[in-house]
Amino acid sequence: MSDPAVALTMLGILVFAIMIGFPVAFTLMALGVGFGYYAYFQPQQYFFDNRVFFLLTQNTFTVLNNDALVSIPLFLLMGYLVERANILDNLFKSLQIALRGVPASLAVATLATCALFATATGIVGAVVTLMGMLAFPQMLKAGYDSRLAAGVVCAGGCLGILIPPSIMLIVYGAIASISVVKLYAAAMVPGFLLAGMYMLYVIAVGILKPQLAPPLPKDEGRVSTGELLTMLAKSFFPLALLILSVLGAILFGLATPTEAAAVGAFGAGVLAVAYRTFTWQGLRESMFLTARTSAMVCWLFVGSATFASVFAYLGGNVMIKDFVLGLDLNPITFLLLSQAIIFVLGWPLEWTEIIIIFVPIFLPMLPHFGIDPMVFGVLVAINLQTAFLSPPMAMAAYYLKGVSPPSVLLTQIFSGCMPFVYIVLVTMVIMYVFPQTTLWLPELLYG
Amino acid sequence: MLQRIIYTIDQLSKTIGHAFSWCALMLTLGTCYEVFVRYVLNDPTSWAFDLSYLMYGALFFMAGAYTLSRGGHVRADMFYRLWPDRTQATVELTLYVLFFFPGILALVIAGWGYGSGAMRIHEVSVNSPAGMPIWPLKMLIPVGGALMMMQGVAEVLRCVLCLRDGRWPARLHDVEELENQILAEAARKRAAEATEATAKEAA
Repeated sequence: MSDPAVALTMLGILVFAIMIGFPVAFTLMALGVGFGYYAYFQPQQYFFDNRVFFLLTQNTFTVLNNDALVSIPLFLLMGYLVERANILDNLFKSLQIALRGVPASLAVATLATCALFATATGIVGAVVTLMGMLAFPQMLKAGYDSRLAAGVVCAGGCLGILIPPSIMLIVYGAIASISVVKLYAAAMVPGFLLAGMYMLYVIAVGILKPQLAPPLPKDEGRVSTGELLTMLAKSFFPLALLILSVLGAILFGLATPTEAAAVGAFGAGVLAVAYRTFTWQGLRESMFLTARTSAMVCWLFVGSATFASVFAYLGGNVMIKDFVLGLDLNPITFLLLSQAIIFVLGWPLEWTEIIIIFVPIFLPMLPHFGIDPMVFGVLVAINLQTAFLSPPMAMAAYYLKGVSPPSVLLTQIFSGCMPFVYIVLVTMVIMYVFPQTTLWLPELLYG
Repeated sequence: MLQRIIYTIDQLSKTIGHAFSWCALMLTLGTCYEVFVRYVLNDPTSWAFDLSYLMYGALFFMAGAYTLSRGGHVRADMFYRLWPDRTQATVELTLYVLFFFPGILALVIAGWGYGSGAMRIHEVSVNSPAGMPIWPLKMLIPVGGALMMMQGVAEVLRCVLCLRDGRWPARLHDVEELENQILAEAARKRAAEATEATAKEAA
């Protein structure tokens, strides 16, 4: 067998082992070592002198002291601390009062709360379940269509994957060797564009079909401006300030992502103390969850590093690249095809696996098609957050179903999510047609 | 007997994982201190950068076995979860032999040469004048690998127990993601309401 054929076999076994459900990090490592031993085999060499063992330790150490990944546990810790600080109730309440003049005000307030909270935590499930218990019943009580209400909660909860500081973009940056700072700048406009289009959509529904999102009774929840400002000052501004200072410090180059993330985690702890919700139990839980999630992400890097270098050494990358370039696709077809493949991969796989294992296959082809890797990365992030939202997987829908009254059917939640999936698609088209939506801010800030 | 061994290994992984998870706190505080002295006092430390990745590396690497003991490493379970317990255990046992032990064993053995070499010369970081020792991080590769290996043995014993009894033995639980806590709570409440309703009907 020729070397590239061996590489393809290696990839085939990997896909098979993933599909039957073995933890991917270990499969990658074992395949990397096994096929690497074959690739670097030299007769008359001692077993452990094979180059693959050197590669394995060297690559592992590269992950261990990779300063691009250091911010991952810090952002996770910040998220877990914010999640446990019990600030959502008041945040939602004050935003709801502040926005009460807007059509479909409850839905808009839900989206705004989700966007802010999801940005701070970055964990889809937590946002959807918490808002599913808090905002969803209130919308139903106010006479909202259950599908619309469900779609708003699910779509809002998924925003945290995309809007910086998102873990997904850190991982993509490490894989594509792009600075996380630039990626964050690139994702800002598309992220807020998406959140804004969600809001415009529910406002339009509120105006055109008020029976689906009836306005609140005039006097309900009316407070004086002073009271409202006090409420906002207690709930909205502290969290907004935390996020803005973390993002601002990163984007304006005042601090490295690691430093900003550390200050963010510290600030989240201060926030919990200020709200009198800080407990040792909460701190311990946050630490342990941070350790587990970081281990989950970073061990994938450990496994994939050796796999990827052996795969490339055997000529696998070149072969796939030549094959795709040989198809003579035009850039649009290539982009559609690659995004469609990534979307479908999002059904069985988690975003970590997709970005660490499969996205690198596409990356070397981008220059040929004239696609900026930053644009591609933000498209991938938007694309993968859709996997949480759209059937058949739609984890967000299942999270919401788990906390909603039995009368709300899963099919209703699914159909409620669909308009938001279409909005995501429209956003992706806008991003492709006007790459400036992505590139404008990084170019403005970093030239 | 098998239960006892599994329990002991789980406990060990958990204790070490919990201990190293506090690296996240040291990482936070160390970096915040550096931010303060650099930006406010204009007097940067010589050790904060090295500390940050030492803490990060130790955190995730040593928590690997703990994560495995909680079933926390990503896997695609779209087919796996549909199978009966015995089939799951058979497949998993085979895959542990094929895809777990060879890679991790290589990591432990090759990592030992790498780590002990660095330890012998007391290798220090070249990034900063503080000369932070870097060999402990290299030494963690065989140590963390060995821990992972041990947890792998516990997982294999779990498969054996499942093949014997026809169902998976219970896992230890300490802390769950918030959404899982909430979902479990909601399911419990719903079940309680359902029993109450049946009781009322019966009355």
